[in-house]
This record gives sequence, structure tokens and C-alpha cells, in this order.
Amino acid sequence: MKPEQLREEIRETNLAYLMLAQHMLRQDRAQALYRLGLSEEVASIIESLTTAQLLRLAASSMLMCRFRFDDDMVWSLLTSHSRDGAVPAGMHASILMAGRPALAAA
Amino acid sequence: MRQKSVVGEARQVRVATDLIRLGARLQVLESETKLSRERLLRLYKELVGKSPPKGMLPFSTDWFMTWQPNVHASLFMNIHRALTGASALEDADALVGAYRLYLEQIGILRLEPVLSVTRAWRLLKFFDCGLLTMAPCRRCGGHFVVHAYDLVKNYVCGLCHMPSRAGKTRAAGKTGTDPDFRKERAAVDGHSVKSGSVPVFPN
Repeated sequence: MKPEQLREEIRETNLAYLMLAQHMLRQDRAQALYRLGLSEEVASIIESLTTAQLLRLAASSMLMCRFRFDDDMVWSLLTSHSRDGAVPAGMHASILMAGRPALAAA
Repeated sequence: MRQKSVVGEARQVRVATDLIRLGARLQVLESETKLSRERLLRLYKELVGKSPPKGMLPFSTDWFMTWQPNVHASLFMNIHRALTGASALEDADALVGAYRLYLEQIGILRLEPVLSVTRAWRLLKFFDCGLLTMAPCRRCGGHFVVHAYDLVKNYVCGLCHMPSRAGKTRAAGKTGTDPDFRKERAAVDGHSVKSGSVPVFPN
């Protein structure tokens, strides 16, 4: 992938992410905070961005979103094929993932 | 207690409507809204098309300790805590919001919801009055619903340490090799098992 092409891909991903986040925050703030896993402050900034600001932010050479689960347990559950089938592992991962923002806030 | 403000009352009706649509019993509505019983009854009949079921609500904390309900209750509580931790919400809004997200997650996993909205409300009440609490699992670090007076120092959750017959219910057996632990809600609701920290799955 050429550098220009790479930058273009990053810009598109950023734009899609920021627009989706803004849309979610404006529709149902509490639910959006849960789904996005963002802090109140960052959420307020994203929510107040104008379209021009959003485009400028998206054109950065860095990705604006990143992985929110940095924990081996979640990854191994999400990628594992347990002997009992995917259902308990999926449920387990859901519980751990839902519990993460609560831990950060505590 | 009567609401004087029309806007306030409209809000109450909206909350009651959301709860009825999710299948809440009348007792939940009476507790979470300030509308009169007659108005709630009228609203219920208008939305559901029949009178609300009568009789007492399930009142046992033990139900939440059995394997499958414990897993579902823990998922719901984790969602609820994340929602209320991130933003200030009214109790009823937090209940409706968390329950919708619970149903969504269960749907993604292609499971049947085990926790009804009435049970979820009951669960929150048990937390409020200190009968139930959350304990971290020693192995996975996730938080799970436990009795407030259990010894939880070396707690291991029902998912890290699965009981051998976990999820193998009669309903799941009927559908052959279906790994989904489906269960008729009536069968679960009617059941009560001995209390204790050992996860026992009733059958």
C-alpha cells in the first residue's frame, strides 16, 4: 500500500468513526458512552465538533480510535473455540467487556 | 402521589410505556412511576390488550445464584453499572436502558433471554437493600452477582468453573444438538434451590 493510499484509508476510517460517535452521542448519550467506552470529557468534545473540525481531525496521519480491551482474558475468550461451544465463551466475554468501563470509572 | 406538571406526567407515561412494552409487571410500574394504579391499569390494557397478570412477584435471591440465571444476571448488572457509572440516569431510565442492551447482547449470542424485566428490577432492588452484591472472580477478574454474606475472597465464577451439567436443560435436550441453553421461563421461575455459593443448576 502506498503512503498516500494508506493516509486516505486512515482518513476514511477516522471520518466514519467520528461521525458515528457524534451521531450516537446525539441520539442517546448514556447508551453511546457505554457503547463507545469514552470518558465524559472526550464525548463532550466529539459531540461539539463542527463538520469542518471533524474533517480536519479525520485528515490526521494517526487513527483516532483504538482497541479498548487490553486484557488477554477477553481476547482469548473472543477468539477461542471452547469445548462447550461458543455460547459460554461469548457470554463470558460479554460480561467481562461490559464490566470494563465500570472498572475504569471506579 | 399525583404529578402536577403535565410535562412530568408525560415523562412518567413514557417510562411506564417502555416498561410495559418490555413485559414488566404492574408492581414494577407502581414502584418506578408516580402514576396512579388506575391509570397504569388503563395504560397496560391499552398496550397489551389484556389485564395484567395477578399474584405475587418472585421474591427469592436464590434464583439468581443458580448457574444460568447467575450468568444472565451478572451480564445485566455489569451493563447497568457501566451505564449508570458513565452518566447520571433516573432509576427507571437506567433499568430500561440496561435491559434493552442486555436483550441486544443476548440476541447477538443467539440465546433466549432468561432474565425478565421484572426479575431485572427485582435484582436491582436486592442490590439496593444490600442482599446481593458483586464479587470479582479470582481467575477472570469479571464481576458476578453473589449473596452479600457469602465468603468471596477466593470466589471463582460459574463460567471459569463450569458445573458439569451447566446449560443442559430439558428444553435444550429436546432440540437435539442445539448448544443453546434454552429454557422455558416458567420452568425457571417456578424453581427454587437450596441457597449456597456452590453453583447448582436445577433440572
